[in-house]
Amino acid sequence: MAIDLAATTAVPADRIVGRPGGRGRRPAARRRRTLIAYLFLAPFLALFVTFVIVPAVFGVWISLTNWSPFRDSQDFIGLKNYLDLFTAGSTTSADFWNSMRATGLFVVLSVPFLVVVPLFIAVLLNRKLRGATFFRTVFFAPYVLGVAIVGVIWSYVFDTQSGILNHLLGLFGLPSDTPWVVDTPWVWVSLVGVTVWWTAGLNTVIFLAGLKGINTDLYEAAALDGAGAARTFFSVTLPGLRPVMIFITTTTILASANMFGQSFLLTNGGPGNETRTAIMYIADQGLSQNNMAPASAMSYVLFAFLAIISVVNFRLQRERSEKAAS
Amino acid sequence: MTTRLSRGLGLGVAAALAVSLSACGASDSSEGGVSGEDYDGPAVEVTFWHGWTGGAAPTIVPKLIDKFNAEHDNIKVKNVPQEWADINSKMPLAVKAGKGPDVAVLHGDDLATYAAQNLLQPADEIIEGLGYSEGDFPPDVFGMGDFRDAQYAVPWSVTPLGLFANKDVMKKADLTEVPTDRQGYLDALEKLKAAGVQGEWVDGYVFTGTFEFQSLLWQFGGDLYNDDVTEATFNSEAGVEALTWMTDLVDKGYSPKNVAQDGNIKALLAGDTAFNWNGVWQTTNTAFGDLDWAAAPVPQIGDEKAVWSSSTHWVFPANKGQSADETSAAATFVKWMNDNSAGWAETGELPAANTVREDPAILEKYPNLEPFMEQLDYAHYETVSPGINEANALITTAINEALTGKKTPQAALDDAKAKADAIIEQNQQKYGD
Repeated sequence: MAIDLAATTAVPADRIVGRPGGRGRRPAARRRRTLIAYLFLAPFLALFVTFVIVPAVFGVWISLTNWSPFRDSQDFIGLKNYLDLFTAGSTTSADFWNSMRATGLFVVLSVPFLVVVPLFIAVLLNRKLRGATFFRTVFFAPYVLGVAIVGVIWSYVFDTQSGILNHLLGLFGLPSDTPWVVDTPWVWVSLVGVTVWWTAGLNTVIFLAGLKGINTDLYEAAALDGAGAARTFFSVTLPGLRPVMIFITTTTILASANMFGQSFLLTNGGPGNETRTAIMYIADQGLSQNNMAPASAMSYVLFAFLAIISVVNFRLQRERSEKAAS
Repeated sequence: MTTRLSRGLGLGVAAALAVSLSACGASDSSEGGVSGEDYDGPAVEVTFWHGWTGGAAPTIVPKLIDKFNAEHDNIKVKNVPQEWADINSKMPLAVKAGKGPDVAVLHGDDLATYAAQNLLQPADEIIEGLGYSEGDFPPDVFGMGDFRDAQYAVPWSVTPLGLFANKDVMKKADLTEVPTDRQGYLDALEKLKAAGVQGEWVDGYVFTGTFEFQSLLWQFGGDLYNDDVTEATFNSEAGVEALTWMTDLVDKGYSPKNVAQDGNIKALLAGDTAFNWNGVWQTTNTAFGDLDWAAAPVPQIGDEKAVWSSSTHWVFPANKGQSADETSAAATFVKWMNDNSAGWAETGELPAANTVREDPAILEKYPNLEPFMEQLDYAHYETVSPGINEANALITTAINEALTGKKTPQAALDDAKAKADAIIEQNQQKYGD
C-alpha cells in the first residue's frame, strides 16, 4: 500500500494538465467552488482513507511489533524489525537486500526502454500515417492482458528446449539453446523484453496525447527556420513533452520497482533467487510465511527508497524545465 | 498489475485490521460427542472449504455433496471451493473470527502450522468415534495429523511421485521394459543417448525437481530434517549424493542443461524424452491421449526403496463459538466421503482409506494407478512442523543453484541448510515448542 501512496502523491494531477487560472474571482464564489470540488472528491477520499491511509498507518504499527494474526495481543518491539534488515546474518537481511538488488537492476534495465521505445513509437504514430489507429491499437493491445496470461504465453516462447524463440533462432543458424528463463543474464533480457512488450502501449498512448498537445505553430516556425527532423525533435517535441516526460518516468520507475508477476511466473525468482524482486519477497514473507511484521518493515524501507527516487526525479526534471523556461 | 497487487496487499491488511478488532477473546470451542453412528441431532448446515478447483474435482465434489445431502435429512453441506492459496490466507483469520468452515481439507505439510496456532480442534475423540486408526490408511499417513500428542486430522488422499515413460521414444533405443533399478536406469539412459535421445530432463523447480531430489535423498538413506525437526539434514552425504545424481544427468548428457519449469513433462508429451519423474496427478493429463505411455514406480537409484508423496487431510477448524452439533455433523460427512471416495481416483489422487483403495474395482477402472499404489508401502510424506514450508523452499533454491551451475551440490545444500536452521529457530519462537 506504501506504493500507492507514492504513486498518488508524487504526481499531482495539476502538474500534468497545467493549473487552470483561478485568480481574480470573488472570494465567496471561490469558496463555493472549492466546497463543490471537495464534495466531488469525497467518495474517492473515503476509499483512499479506508484502503490506503488506514492500512498504511496500521502497517507502521505492525512493523514495530512481533505481529502475528494468530495471537490475541501483539508486543511492541520497537525498531527491531528494521534493525534486523540492516544486521548481517539475520534471517531476513541477506534475502531482502538480494531482492532489493534484483528490483534495482530491473528498474535500471527496464526504465530506459520503457521510456524510449514508447516515445519512438508515439512519434511515428503521430505522423499523418495511413492506419495509425490500427497500429495504435496493436501496440496498446498487450497492455489489456493480465500478467497470468502474459506469463503463460511467454513461457511457451522462452522454453529452453521447446520454445518458439530458440526454434526460430536455430533456423537462422544462431544458438538455439539459450536459457531465456533459466539462467543469467538471459533472464533479465527476457523479463525486460516481456515488460516492454506488455506495458509499452500505455506509455505510448500517454506520449501520443502529449504530442497532440504541442502547438503546431511551433513546428511551422521550426520548419521556416530551416530545422531538420532531428533538430525539430530535440528543440520542439522533447521540450513540449516535458511535463508528460516527468509523469512517465516517475510512474514507470515506480511500476518497474513493483515488478512481481513476470518473475513470479516466468523465472520463479531463479536461478537461485537472482530474480526474486522486493515485492515478491515481501509478499512471500508477509502472506505465505506469516512474517507480517518483518514484511511490513521491508515495505517501508522499499517505500523510503521509492519516495527518495521520486522526489529526486521530480526535482531534477522540474529544475531543467525551469531553466529552459527562463 | 503491480498497483493491483499493492492494492490487494492494502485490502488484506485492512481486512486483518477489521477482523482483529472484532475478534477479541480466545476461541472456546466445545467438543461434540461423536460416535460412529450418523449425526442425529437437529438440522444443521455444515460449511466445507477445499481447494479442488481444477481437473475433474469441480464436477465430482458437488455430485458427492448432493448425494450426501439427499441421504441425510438433518445435514446440509455447503460446498465452498477456492484456491488453496486463498484458503491459507483466509482461513486463520476466519476461524479466529468464528466465520471459518466446520470442516475443511488441508495439505499434509500445512497441518502442523494450523494446529500450532490453535486453529484446529484436537480430534482424538471424533476420530475414535468414527472408528479410524492408523491401520486404516497407508503407513505414516495417519501420523501426519499427529501434533504434540493430539490427533488433528483424518487422511483423505495421497499423491506419490512415479516414473512416466514414453514408450515410442523408448523404442528408438530398443527398450521394452521400464527400468526399475540404478543399473537398469543408467543402461537405458546410455542406450537412449546413443540413439540421440536425452532420456530424462531434470529441472530445478518444485514441480518436479524438488520431489525427485527428496525421493533420491530418502533412497540414499538420508532425511530432510532430524527427528524432532530442530535441524535441517538434507545436506548430509545422502543429500549430496542425491543432488549429484541429478547434476550428473546433465553432465553426462542424459539431460539437456537449463530445463525450464515443466519443460520435462512437455518434452515427454512431445516425444523428445523417454522418462519423467512426476506425480500421480499426471495420469489424468488428457495430453497423453493416444501416446503409447506407461507409469511405473520410480526406479531405485539408492540403497533402499523410497519415494516422495504428499497427502491431503480432513480437519475440524476450532472456530470461535464452534457449535458441537455442526462438528458432529461434519464428522458424519467426513466418514461418508471417505467411504464413498472410490470416484476420487478420477482426479488423479489415490483415496487414502485402505478399504476403498484396495477394492479391485478401482484398478479395473484406472489401471494406471497401480504402480503408484504399489509404492505406498515405502512412500515418505512431507515434514510435520509448523512453518516448515518456508525452510522447504530453500531446498528448491539449492537444487536450482546446483543445476544452473551456480554452486556445487555440497555448497548449495550447505548454504540452504544454514538458512533453514535459522528459519527453524525462528519458527520455534513464532509457534512455540
